[in-house]
Amino acid sequence: MMDITLFSPKGKLSTYFFPSNQQSNNGQVSIDMQSNNSNQQQPQNSHTSTSRSSDSVEPCATANKWASKLLKECARAISDKDSSKIHHLLWMLNELASPYGDCDQKLASYFLQALFCKATESGHRCYKTLTSVAEKSHSFDSARKLILKFQEVSPWTTFGHVASNGAILEALEGETKLHIIDISNTLCTQWPTLLEALATRNDETPHLKLTVVVTANIVRSVMKEIGQRMEKFARLMGVPFEFNVISGLNRLGELTKEGLGVQEDEAIAVNCIGALRRVSEEERRTVIQMFQSLGPKVVTVVEEEADLTSSRYDFVKCFEECLRFYTLYFEMLEESFVPTSNERLMLERECSRSIVRVLACDDNENDEEECERRERGSQWCERLREAFSPVGFSDDVVDDVKALLKRYRGGWGLVLPQGDHHDSSGIYLTWKEEPVVWASAWKP
Amino acid sequence: MATNRFLCEICGKGFQRDQNLQLHRRGHNLPWKLKQRTSKEVRKRVYVCPEKTCVHHHPSRALGDLTGIKKHFCRKHGEKKWKCEKCSKRYAVQSDWKAHSKTCGTREYKCDCGTIFSRRDSFITHRAFCDALAEETARVNAASTMNLAVGNNISYHLMGTPLGPSMAQHFSSIFKPISGTTDETIDQTSRGLSLWMGSQGNNNNLQEIHQLGSVSSGAIFGTDPIVSITNNPSPPQADYQLNWVFGSKLPTSNAEALASTSLPLSDVKESVTQLVSVPSLYSSQQQSSHQAHSSANMSATALLQKAAQIGATSTDPSFLGSFGFKSNSNQVQEGNKYCGLVYGSNTIASGLGSDHHVVLENSVSSDHISTLNQLQMYPAKRRHLQSEDSNGGGQTRDFLGVGVQAISCHPSSINGWI
Repeated sequence: MMDITLFSPKGKLSTYFFPSNQQSNNGQVSIDMQSNNSNQQQPQNSHTSTSRSSDSVEPCATANKWASKLLKECARAISDKDSSKIHHLLWMLNELASPYGDCDQKLASYFLQALFCKATESGHRCYKTLTSVAEKSHSFDSARKLILKFQEVSPWTTFGHVASNGAILEALEGETKLHIIDISNTLCTQWPTLLEALATRNDETPHLKLTVVVTANIVRSVMKEIGQRMEKFARLMGVPFEFNVISGLNRLGELTKEGLGVQEDEAIAVNCIGALRRVSEEERRTVIQMFQSLGPKVVTVVEEEADLTSSRYDFVKCFEECLRFYTLYFEMLEESFVPTSNERLMLERECSRSIVRVLACDDNENDEEECERRERGSQWCERLREAFSPVGFSDDVVDDVKALLKRYRGGWGLVLPQGDHHDSSGIYLTWKEEPVVWASAWKP
Repeated sequence: MATNRFLCEICGKGFQRDQNLQLHRRGHNLPWKLKQRTSKEVRKRVYVCPEKTCVHHHPSRALGDLTGIKKHFCRKHGEKKWKCEKCSKRYAVQSDWKAHSKTCGTREYKCDCGTIFSRRDSFITHRAFCDALAEETARVNAASTMNLAVGNNISYHLMGTPLGPSMAQHFSSIFKPISGTTDETIDQTSRGLSLWMGSQGNNNNLQEIHQLGSVSSGAIFGTDPIVSITNNPSPPQADYQLNWVFGSKLPTSNAEALASTSLPLSDVKESVTQLVSVPSLYSSQQQSSHQAHSSANMSATALLQKAAQIGATSTDPSFLGSFGFKSNSNQVQEGNKYCGLVYGSNTIASGLGSDHHVVLENSVSSDHISTLNQLQMYPAKRRHLQSEDSNGGGQTRDFLGVGVQAISCHPSSINGWI
């Protein structure tokens, strides 16, 4: 199957779909765009993807989306403070929900938890419990296994890696001392391929210093092991390498040039994957200015496409957006992993913390907890433009991304903003035509 | 207009390029003496790259044939018009692209842990985090000094991890025959001993190895013919990937390696050196920092027994038997010393006893080897390559079937200025 290049009616965006080679295409399948109604900003693409195999179970794509209906009704009831309705709906959801069932049941389960916490104002306690449970069960091995497996079956994270690495390599071409400041949630899985590229691309392999900034408690514990692996691998690749970890930070905005060990003769790249959303809304500008103060040659930002920030004071709107996003995510997980996958279960569980945090916790109450208020790419663009100007991804990098998506099962697409660049920089990974991940590159 | 000025003296066939003539001549099965070039035609290097910023723009670095310089120019300075559909790799030279397209996607990458990948990027990422990698470097790192015991039919070889050009010296020592009592006490500040035991049974023992530090030593010579002697129904595939260098075994899964078994021995050294130098770059400071004595409490009784089983056979004198035991025994003499044993001495093996902590490597080499095989696809480490002696000029790697990226030509000694 070839790529299908399509243009939206406005002619602004080009979309690429990647039917997998492995699947047999049984004709065109129209995709249930149930989440479309809440996306006013999305490009209107009127084509269908031919990438779905007909035998995949689609419990989430049926018309009978009871979970979504019940959950939204409950959210409204909470917002309206309609006690009896709240009780009724919570009870119903409780009956039907299960973290081990189909998509609807799972979504019902995790969102029910958040709704319950919201209704009973126990969000923070619940979040703390969930966090401590997760911390106990985390180990280097489990985290590694989880993320590697996820990357094997889904380009959700590797999309951002490939785009960012490409931009970094191009921006730092010819430099001999590279310093990458990495603020990501992907446990350094981005770097082996970069190291390999550094080793093989150039005649003169530059020296790479990697400074990883860790904020989440869970990640801190595995960082040591990860660091050792990175060092060994760099040796294997023949890349002069230095690895540092910065932890114990309360706020990302506290970082300084000195604190990061930035030297004058280094070429700096700042790499943020899933990091900016963990910065409290008020601090985001500070953090971006801090990046600017480091004098980077390139800043790569990758975020998931959802807006949980502008609606933070409107519970129902926030809830609906949150549900929309995680519905996509859960569906994606369900189709990417085998049904019995333990890794998928763990990834789903990891969402529960985030959902509770966003929906049932008051942001101002507790500064220590990481909030996770996502913003859409266009929103991040506005913020980043205050300090940086966008760098388009080169054709080579775009080709690399396309090649990457080809290696996965169908359903994935790539959207490149063309023409009018204002407010639409970066590229989008789409799942069933829904933009889900946004990747961008910036220069001073 | 190309002239076929390189003529085969046997059949008179003409070729545009000297390399092609040499390849052709092999087909005539000449007796060894005549295999050398009978007429040492001093080929003038007359072709200079037009790109001013290029190294080859200078007459001292001119190339010898027109096709070569054209390809060089395209690869280095040209627009990459040819693109692989599957992996989006780009090429300026059509023949490079064709050669790549043939093999793209057909490769399988196998990690030492046994997992197979069809995608290179996931293979690389996996390897970086794989336990096999971690253990191998733990094992290999040694204390600051290493002692070598000498025994009958045992010679100790150290796989050093020197930096850059000094690799060549190591290799010369390694090419010594296995039997013979060579007493080598080498200053250990920059060596790591890599020991090879190809048997897969070692895997569980390897789990017990503590982290010694993290120096990946010259785990180049991992594969050993003795592996075949052990009762391995399916010899570890990755172990054999470097065997071609020594001309002994054919790797089971590596097209490039297969193609390269035809390498004449004189090239082997260079190739090995080249290969080795690829991953061997690391700062010496790392070594010294890892000299700390580790507590590698490795009960290796099973391993020792296995070692004892294996006879002192060396099938190929050019093969280094660069495996042995690395023992980190606290009791042996002074502090931490490493005894390197060449495989196959019953006396020594049993002599080690259980007091010695023996660290045996299984897939160290494979690790590096499989990486090396990836790496050999690239022309990357030219500076290392050029620091080695070039065995004659113009050794391209075409015949290795590599053809993935630009082939690096090693300019031989300059014969004249143009």
